Amino acid sequence: MSTIVPDKKNAVGAATGARNLAIYLAACLFVGFGLFPLYMMITTSLKTDQQTFAWPPVWLFTPRFQSYYNALFVFGGRSADHYLFNSLVVTLSSSALAVFLGAMAAYGLARFRFRGNRDVAFYILSTRFAPPVGFIVPIYLMVQRSGLLDTQIALIVVYTSMNLSFVTWILRGFFLEIPIEIEEAALVDGYTRWQIFLRVALPLVRPGLAATAILSAIFSWNEFLFASILAPGDAATIPVYLAGFSASMNIDWGEYMAVGTMAVLPIMIFTLALQRHLVRGLTFGAVR
Amino acid sequence: MPRVEFNRICKTYADGTRAVVDLDLAVADREFLCVLGPSGCGKSSTLRMLAGLESISSGDLVLDGRRINDVPPQARDMAMVFENYALYPHLRVFENIAMPLVARRRPRAEIRERVQQVAETLQIVEYLRQRPQTLSGGQRQRVALGRAIVRRPKMFLMDEPLGHLEAYLRVQLRAELRRLHERLGATTIYITHDQEEAEAVSDRIAVMENGRLQQLGSLVDLLDRPINRFVAEFIGRIPINMLPARLAGDGQNLQVGAAMMPLSGAQSAKLRSGGTDPLTLGIRPEHVALSSGSAGETISGLSGRVRVIEPQGDSTVIIADTPAGRVSALVPSGCVPSAGEVIELHFAMDCAHVFGADNINLLRAARNSE
Repeated sequence: MSTIVPDKKNAVGAATGARNLAIYLAACLFVGFGLFPLYMMITTSLKTDQQTFAWPPVWLFTPRFQSYYNALFVFGGRSADHYLFNSLVVTLSSSALAVFLGAMAAYGLARFRFRGNRDVAFYILSTRFAPPVGFIVPIYLMVQRSGLLDTQIALIVVYTSMNLSFVTWILRGFFLEIPIEIEEAALVDGYTRWQIFLRVALPLVRPGLAATAILSAIFSWNEFLFASILAPGDAATIPVYLAGFSASMNIDWGEYMAVGTMAVLPIMIFTLALQRHLVRGLTFGAVR
Repeated sequence: MPRVEFNRICKTYADGTRAVVDLDLAVADREFLCVLGPSGCGKSSTLRMLAGLESISSGDLVLDGRRINDVPPQARDMAMVFENYALYPHLRVFENIAMPLVARRRPRAEIRERVQQVAETLQIVEYLRQRPQTLSGGQRQRVALGRAIVRRPKMFLMDEPLGHLEAYLRVQLRAELRRLHERLGATTIYITHDQEEAEAVSDRIAVMENGRLQQLGSLVDLLDRPINRFVAEFIGRIPINMLPARLAGDGQNLQVGAAMMPLSGAQSAKLRSGGTDPLTLGIRPEHVALSSGSAGETISGLSGRVRVIEPQGDSTVIIADTPAGRVSALVPSGCVPSAGEVIELHFAMDCAHVFGADNINLLRAARNSE
């Protein structure tokens, strides 16, 4: 009799084990599918041309960093680091601005009752309904008239305004989740509205700040359309620079992929660092 | 010294709800005043107006002779304790308690010393480094109290501070609250819907209903001299008996069902001058006595059949059906009739209340004049 029980247990264990294995396999396949292009890009940037075009593909090779060296120090004109720096400046400034301004707008919308509050909130979100191509001409003219063509400021302003709407919308939800008594306690404790915003409300929506910061940063870092039109030259960002590669006569795949890797790296590091907050931030409310 | 006056204060919300209507109330310096009432009676709105968290629709709120209707909450120097504690979740206990001092830019050494002192008073020193989420309800409430007393405010406002706690903790903490009040001597306004709690902590109790102050007094006042039917029914551990009655033709007796209850001279004079039918007799279960068997021995008895017996330790509540309605009586547990038995109920008429058609207690202060 006593032997039956462990047998049964093993059968159940084996069944769940097989199921887990299947799930893991599927997950691995999916992750592999997602990461393979990245793998190709990074390995190609470390290969020689012969290795890149060899058939069957070369899986094991000694990595060389000549492509990176070339992209940074040998290529004529402005080298990759210049555009990387442009991207960094534009992305960090516009994300910081969007999150800060958006947080203030969201706090106001969440905490102050005034006529048309909900309409204003919805209007802010609705500015993202139209496809960006739709207003590229007016924006171009505005930037041109103000003499900001091919400057980082133009991109920072445009990206901030584009990110502001969803930052405001998302953060408004976060502020609404803060129990009002906590802020009332702070009022009675002697804090002004502004102090409460900075010392109580902002720290409490930190996951929301992280999530919106990541989303704005990814948007600004990847944005191509406006960057290519408003800042095609000296102030160009890395996507614009990368696009320029494929236009040249013959593509230096090693260098191309080296710049690509360098372009992906900062946003990857940024996202990985804030990833925990991102997941918490985007599922906020749903899990409570 | 802080003295608060509500002068004809009204609060009407945007949706038209009249939360507080014509509130006149003066709170003396160092007084511990409880505001008692059912939920939605306007007690929280009253407190929030006093704290400055809610605007005042009309009337004057006066603190120490100065109208403070438009003074922002930061400048009122009142400390508030919320029902759900409202601690800052991102700060440690120490920082939570220190917040009001930080707002006033006190020097760091002073902050450390005062927080330490308060933590010792409230026995929460060992939790100072923890975050509020890791604390139990009772500990959180102590932290909230600590945050309130650390700055030595003019007034304490407490909005059902013990509402979320377990019964034994409530009893323990309310005793501490009272002790704290005696030590600090700050004027305190305390909101609760628990009359036992109100009795335990306060000097005076204000009963509110439908946005109106009904009566203000000690618990004994409220129990023995309720101004109207609402107060009589709301106050009291066991609900008061309310029986339809009318003044007998001779004016000397109150007729309840078939029974005649003799009235004192003063009582009958009051009823004859102000009484309009229909009247309602209010008599507390504590003032109802039983005798079984020998019916008809006295004319003030109402006979009834025992329906429910609720033992409550050394006394027992008997609920009986009488021709005039259900009557409950509180009797010593030693002499409890059995269910179904026919008993005679005797009312101590000198403790009775009689309410007129407008629910006003016609006999109020009857005993004072005797």
